[in-house]
Amino acid sequence: MVRRASSKPKPLWFITTLLLLAAALGGGYWLYQEVQDPYRVVQDLNIDIYMENANSLRGNVYKIEGTVENSLAWSPVKGRLFSFETGSSSQPGYVAVLVPPQLNHINIQKGQRFRIKVEVIQDGILQVVDMRKS
Amino acid sequence: MKRRLILVFWMGVASCLAQNAPKAPAAPAAPSTPAADTGKSSDSGTASGSKESTSAGSDNQFLGKNVPFLDMGTDVVTWDGKMWNISNNRLLRARFEKYLVSAESTEKEYAEYQKIITQIIDKLSPEHLTSRAVDEAWAMLPKASNYAIDANLCDSLANAVYSVWLAKNQVDRLEQANGNLDRERDLLSWNAEASVKDSSVNQYNPPNDKVGQTAWLKDREMERTIRMQPYTVRIAEVEAMMKANRLKKEASDLQSKVEFQALLMQFFLQRRFQHVVIGTRFYRVIFGDGDNKMRVGNETAKAISNFSGMPPTLGLLESMANEAMRDVAEGVEAFTFLVEKKEMAGATDRLAEAFAVGEYMPPIRQLPREKKRQALDFEQKSNQLISALEVRDYTRAEDLVKEMQAVARDFDTSKPMAAIETARTVSAMHLSKARVAAASGDRATLETELKAATEIWPRNPDLAKISGSIFNQADVQQQALSDLQRLIAQKNYRQIFDDKVRYIAATALFPDQQEQLRKILDDMQLVESGIIRANEIAKAGNYAGAWENVERVFQKFPEDNKLNQVRADLTTQASDFVRSLRTAQKLERNSQVGSSLAWYLKAQSLYPTSEFAGEGIQRMVSQVMPDRK
Repeated sequence: MVRRASSKPKPLWFITTLLLLAAALGGGYWLYQEVQDPYRVVQDLNIDIYMENANSLRGNVYKIEGTVENSLAWSPVKGRLFSFETGSSSQPGYVAVLVPPQLNHINIQKGQRFRIKVEVIQDGILQVVDMRKS
Repeated sequence: MKRRLILVFWMGVASCLAQNAPKAPAAPAAPSTPAADTGKSSDSGTASGSKESTSAGSDNQFLGKNVPFLDMGTDVVTWDGKMWNISNNRLLRARFEKYLVSAESTEKEYAEYQKIITQIIDKLSPEHLTSRAVDEAWAMLPKASNYAIDANLCDSLANAVYSVWLAKNQVDRLEQANGNLDRERDLLSWNAEASVKDSSVNQYNPPNDKVGQTAWLKDREMERTIRMQPYTVRIAEVEAMMKANRLKKEASDLQSKVEFQALLMQFFLQRRFQHVVIGTRFYRVIFGDGDNKMRVGNETAKAISNFSGMPPTLGLLESMANEAMRDVAEGVEAFTFLVEKKEMAGATDRLAEAFAVGEYMPPIRQLPREKKRQALDFEQKSNQLISALEVRDYTRAEDLVKEMQAVARDFDTSKPMAAIETARTVSAMHLSKARVAAASGDRATLETELKAATEIWPRNPDLAKISGSIFNQADVQQQALSDLQRLIAQKNYRQIFDDKVRYIAATALFPDQQEQLRKILDDMQLVESGIIRANEIAKAGNYAGAWENVERVFQKFPEDNKLNQVRADLTTQASDFVRSLRTAQKLERNSQVGSSLAWYLKAQSLYPTSEFAGEGIQRMVSQVMPDRK
């Protein structure tokens, strides 16, 4: 009598499933992230170029993400000036960001991490257009 | 003392005769009065000569200069504004030394000469005086003159005697002529009388009337006059001739005396005393009129009178010559005695005095050379001592004083030692002042004192030593100052700092340079402090902090090599920080405020306490927010 072959789970199928699941999770996360980044259409600021010649970037709008390092100054007219640590932990970069008076309502404290949309204004200073905690 | 008086007299008379000698021959030219007035005539002649001298402004002059004056207290002669010691004169010393080294005159020739001279003197002595003795003595004069030691003086004397004799003959002839003339005058007188006695003048009687008588007398008188005129004219001529002859005789006689006396005076001045004695004895014999008065110039007569207290006569001259001869003999005897007693100072003085007076006298000429050599040794040392004192070589002078003291017990060291000690003390005083001046940098005083010390004692050993050390010190100091200025010009403050001890010492006397050096050393101290601090920080691994310390000092003193080296080392070790900082600074200069601020922030992240980064950030922030709070 012909024995009916036993149906055992095949490893290939298992692996494939895992991969698909991972891809789905990754895609979901990416999608989530994309949906979460409000400045996803804005170009990232190239720190190296900025540090080399900020004046050449004047008028452009970029986005950066960094941690508040220090409060450098405050002016009722110009607003607040902060230093931010950007880049990776292995190769950190530092920029000064001017938060105009219009954004005085945003509470900024040392160590907070922000996504910031900036415009390179006169003297190559990065002025915040918009910023959100990340 | 007497010996010295004779010497002094000799000098005085020498000067006086020298100024009056030319006048003596002129004296006989004027006489017109009998022999009794001759002296007066001579004096008047001399006086006129003196008058001429006075009118020429040279009455008190000698060889065109003032008459020498001798200070008896110090033996110093003053002449023509110059002074010298008669016992310390180069010419006299040289002559005396020459005598001391010469051999004594003991040879046969000298003995023979002296024998002749003695015989002449003996023959002319009053106890042996005869006409024959005089002739023999005169005949011996040329013999004596044959000897070199006589220097032909006896010949001169013989000639003088002969000249007098010739003059005497002339006088005799004049007397004879006058006798003839006298007889002729008598004859002429008789003839004149006779010519009028037997003539027709007396044969006619006069007329009786008065007018006729008068005319007759006139005619007779005229006739008598005409007859006697040739005789009276001739008588007048004869009398004039007689008077002229008488004057010639007087003049000839006086001239002979003056010439002879001048020769005797010359012998006296030449210190040929034996010749003086011979001459005076001849004089008495050949003139024989008892007139021994000397016809010399006023000054000479005055000098002789002052010395002797009597008017100048031949007797006085002879006695002085005899006294001089005796004195010389006594001087030599004293010398011999003092040499035996080892009292060379006194012995040499006595011999020098005797030599000065009687250089040609037998006791002097015959003194043994061995004895003279002892005096020579002392005399040479004495002369060397004088020279050493003259050139102020007091070291040599002191050695000589010691040597002279060793050979002469009676040598008086007080004067030379006083001079030596005084010079030493004063020189030492000036040198001390020079040292103080050198130490205080008073160059003017230093030079003045060194000059004064040099003038007082040029060969002072301390002078060379001290001035050498002063000038060596000055050289070293000068070199150090020169080096300092060069290093300052090169801004090589490190070298100055490394040799700071040398430069501190060199600038001690120069306040301006001292202040300059002080500032340099203060700056270098800052540099050194910065380096030390940086090294300490670097040891803790804080290279950025170390670099920043060095960099801050470097900005003030960029020329310091050591600092540069340390800075270079630390730049390598804190390269990220330094690069961030320099890039920030560069961008700051290019007005890249954003970029510069970013780099300053990066630098600060590397060295959070960085002053450079903090300052840079503040500058940038100020640009971004000029109105920051």
